[in-house]
Amino acid sequence: MPFVSTLMGFTGFGVGVSAGLMIGYYFFIYFQPTDVEDPVIRPLVEQDSKTLQDLLPEIPFWVKNPDYDRIDWLNKFLEYMWPYLDKAICKTAISIAKPIIAEEIPKYKINSVEFETFTLGSLPPTFQGMKVYVTDEHELIMEPSMKWAGNPNVKLGVKAFGLKATIQVVDLQIFTVPRITLKPLVPNFPCFSKIYMSLMEKPHVDFGLKLFGADLMAIPGLYRFVQELIKDQVSSMYLWPRTLEVPILDPNQAMQRPVGILHVKVLKAMKLRKKDLLGGSDPYCKLKLTESKLPSKKTTVKHRNLNPEWNEEFNMVVKNPNTQALEILVYDWEQVGKHDKMGMNVVPLRELKPEEKTVLTLDLLKNMNTEDAQNDKSRGQLEVELTYKAFKEEDMAKDEGSSEVVKAPDGTPANGGMLVIKVHEALDVEGKYHTNPYARIIFRGEEKKTKYVKKNRDPRWEEEFHFVLDEAPINDRIHVEVVSTSSRIGLLHPKETLGYVDINLADVVSNKRINEKYHLIDSKNGRIQIELQWRTSS
Amino acid sequence: MGLISGMLMGTIFGIALMAGWRQMIRYRSSKRVAKAVDIKLLGSLSRDDLRKICGDNFPEWISFPVFEQVKWLNKHLSKLWPYVAEAATLVIRESVEPLLEEYRPAGITSLKFSKLSLGTVAPKIEGIRVQSLNKGQITMDIDFRWGGDPSIILAVQAAMVASLPIQLKDLQVFTVVRVIFQLSEEIPCISAVVVALLSEPKPRIDYTLKAVGGSLTALPGLSDMIQDTVETIVSDMLEWPHRIVVPIGGIPVDTSELELKPQGKLTVTVVKANDLKNLEMVGKSDPYVVVFIRPLFKVKTKVIDNNLNPVWDQTFELIAEDKETQALIIEVFDQDVGQDKKLGVVKLPLIKLEAENTKEFQLRLLPSHDMLKIKDKKDRGTITLQVLYHHFNKEEQLEALEAEKKMLEERKKLKEAGVIGSTMDALDGAASLVGSGVGMMGTGLLAGAGAVGSGLNAGAGIVGSGLGAVGGGLTKAGKFMGRTLTGGQSSSKKNGIATPPVNPAQENCNT
Repeated sequence: MPFVSTLMGFTGFGVGVSAGLMIGYYFFIYFQPTDVEDPVIRPLVEQDSKTLQDLLPEIPFWVKNPDYDRIDWLNKFLEYMWPYLDKAICKTAISIAKPIIAEEIPKYKINSVEFETFTLGSLPPTFQGMKVYVTDEHELIMEPSMKWAGNPNVKLGVKAFGLKATIQVVDLQIFTVPRITLKPLVPNFPCFSKIYMSLMEKPHVDFGLKLFGADLMAIPGLYRFVQELIKDQVSSMYLWPRTLEVPILDPNQAMQRPVGILHVKVLKAMKLRKKDLLGGSDPYCKLKLTESKLPSKKTTVKHRNLNPEWNEEFNMVVKNPNTQALEILVYDWEQVGKHDKMGMNVVPLRELKPEEKTVLTLDLLKNMNTEDAQNDKSRGQLEVELTYKAFKEEDMAKDEGSSEVVKAPDGTPANGGMLVIKVHEALDVEGKYHTNPYARIIFRGEEKKTKYVKKNRDPRWEEEFHFVLDEAPINDRIHVEVVSTSSRIGLLHPKETLGYVDINLADVVSNKRINEKYHLIDSKNGRIQIELQWRTSS
Repeated sequence: MGLISGMLMGTIFGIALMAGWRQMIRYRSSKRVAKAVDIKLLGSLSRDDLRKICGDNFPEWISFPVFEQVKWLNKHLSKLWPYVAEAATLVIRESVEPLLEEYRPAGITSLKFSKLSLGTVAPKIEGIRVQSLNKGQITMDIDFRWGGDPSIILAVQAAMVASLPIQLKDLQVFTVVRVIFQLSEEIPCISAVVVALLSEPKPRIDYTLKAVGGSLTALPGLSDMIQDTVETIVSDMLEWPHRIVVPIGGIPVDTSELELKPQGKLTVTVVKANDLKNLEMVGKSDPYVVVFIRPLFKVKTKVIDNNLNPVWDQTFELIAEDKETQALIIEVFDQDVGQDKKLGVVKLPLIKLEAENTKEFQLRLLPSHDMLKIKDKKDRGTITLQVLYHHFNKEEQLEALEAEKKMLEERKKLKEAGVIGSTMDALDGAASLVGSGVGMMGTGLLAGAGAVGSGLNAGAGIVGSGLGAVGGGLTKAGKFMGRTLTGGQSSSKKNGIATPPVNPAQENCNT
């Protein structure tokens, strides 16, 4: 009965395979230790040429390319910090993951999920080179080449239906070259308001995933499949030009843009204390917003009056209503010598309700120290009327994104537009007798000038000029000249040209915006950075 | 038969399959580990490693200095500088102005920035070195160089003289900044940052002072005063072992371990000096000795007239904060009408001392601390000292800390009193400074008890009379007076410290 025999054979084979797999599993895998050991690292000098050969494809970028910088100091830093970082990250990760797991498991009829071990291992990520790109825009671009071949050990114990399974992730390796862009730059620490991150290439990912102690990723074919899946997933999110945006500073605060206006009406003062020996005092008020660089505003002086009435109005630009405060100081005017302070007070803008008139009667104090005994004396009172008006959102959105091309204002001719010339800075300009450079722009006979910067070879102007035109200036050119004037009224060398450049405007019309450094003609190494924009109404 | 052979075959197949899988697992695992090792090795290459890898094709552009170069950081810094400069201006104003106030010399009533902009030239970071000297700390040394064009105008107000704008020009700062990160196990993993300037190589801060729309001679001695102030601030606030501790990340941590604390007490007996140089035209030098560890706490011996081999035999107690890096500085001066002349200086690193063991040192005097500038090798004589270092225990340390705080507060009061006294004493503009000096001395004398006080007493008297003699109002006197004033000012400064002799006495009572 060959048929039965074959059938029996197959059955036997089937049983045998399962038995063999069981035996093999217990024999080869189950009793093998699953702990991750720290790899033995021998110094490179001791290694033979074969291992060196294997090393070659991984040689860091900074060895191969002169435009990459070595940042081994950062690696060292990370290495020292890694044990702490490891613990901190693991602690946070567990504390984040726990509530999520607790919420999810009842849906899948799983009894419990627990981290048995969670460590990122002893090997820190390394940076194998850093490249920096310098552009004319207000941004910083860097590309570190990050390689993390770690030995993390994440072990998850899952209990379900009375069975316990362990899932373990080991030997995670991620190699990637992210591009990190910091922009826009702002004059507030940390000096940039957003971080943009994107990957320049698909990242390399490798890891071991052990289920019941057996590495699934070692099944031929599966690893490639999973790797491709992960790569595609990640690159669909972050591969350049897709970016991850991390805001650091609030843009309004960062740019120190005005957000509102404070109307102040100084009404009157009552019962001021006499300061002058002869006659009454001559009071006037000084108003200033804290954190503001603008000069303070002054009322008129009311001579010989201890109960002066001013009724004068002022407008002040507010940049941060939460922290700024109005400082009012009352002074005694003097013909000669220093003006005496008669008293002061401070009103934090926080305390004002927006769009609402508030009349305040303030006690004048010697200083703002509440414990100072001198403040108990009466120095009189001051009455002011304050209204804070915040700008509306649309007003503020107007100058959003200064680097992008804005539309021309209303009233520009249909075919024409507005030509905007921003003179950013010049580099390495030098005059024979003096270097007090300013830039002169001549366009269709019209001339405009920037301010002049005293004694500076690398002046920074950051000034903007507008020309409204009837038609696109395709065949036109502008002439930009850097000129130095003598700081003294010198008859000998009154003016000096430090260099000039003629720029064709056809490119600007077709590109809408060009920001470039031009080499100056008639100058040794001088360059000038000019941004041109062509704004049309359509 | 078929069943058994089938089972056998199946078992063998199954086991083989498992064995194959395991082999695969092993292979992949070892490959990954090997790669991890490679990456780790390549993360910190040395010159020899690279030679071994590259062989003859060693790239020429690579070098391995002790301080690793950071070109990329400099590129960023120069681009970011206009923004950093603006942001830093505010911070500097807020943090430095109180400092100037605290350390301002007695003759000046107010010292403020009237204009502060950091210019267009960005600082350069020449290199960075990372070490881990202590467990749980990372030490980062940054070689920092700045030859900028900042525009700093100080508004200096001396008694009765209207605000005088003084410009700091051609500022150059070359220093190694040491940043120590204290690690913790909470994100962001750094609980505190300690910043200090490394004392070796000595920080170099050069600048020239210029009065705006006038000349510095209008206020004699002013430039010395400002230079003195800046130097004191730098060496007493920033220079290692002095440091600034900044806690980070809102984690309440005990930073007291990082702060500088009194570590021990130094009992110095200035015994005698031999073969001092004679700087007087008539007679011989009138030497006295100034001994200090921190310039804030200087002590002074009495003046011995007309003697090149003086014997003082005076004992002082000084507080040491860091035995490893601090040094006892001994300066011998010649008391003189006008500015006192330096007869010689010498430095005694505290590390040479053994705790609880009195040692006698005979030290050769040098013309200056800066060995680079020393030209003449002429013998300037020797000074003999007896030094005992006592290491504090916890309680003594706390006590010393308290005493130090108290002393500083007292001194602050003294200073205020001195200034107020000066404005009242002042008769006319030019003499006002003198007044302040004298006023200071008055208070100093009141407070000064003990040998040093009386030693100063004589000195102050001489200076005072010297001033009186000059006070006639000669047109040329301005500059000369400046000298006198600095003398007066510096001695008044020491005078202000007339409390130290009192303080050790207190300590003696306590211990």
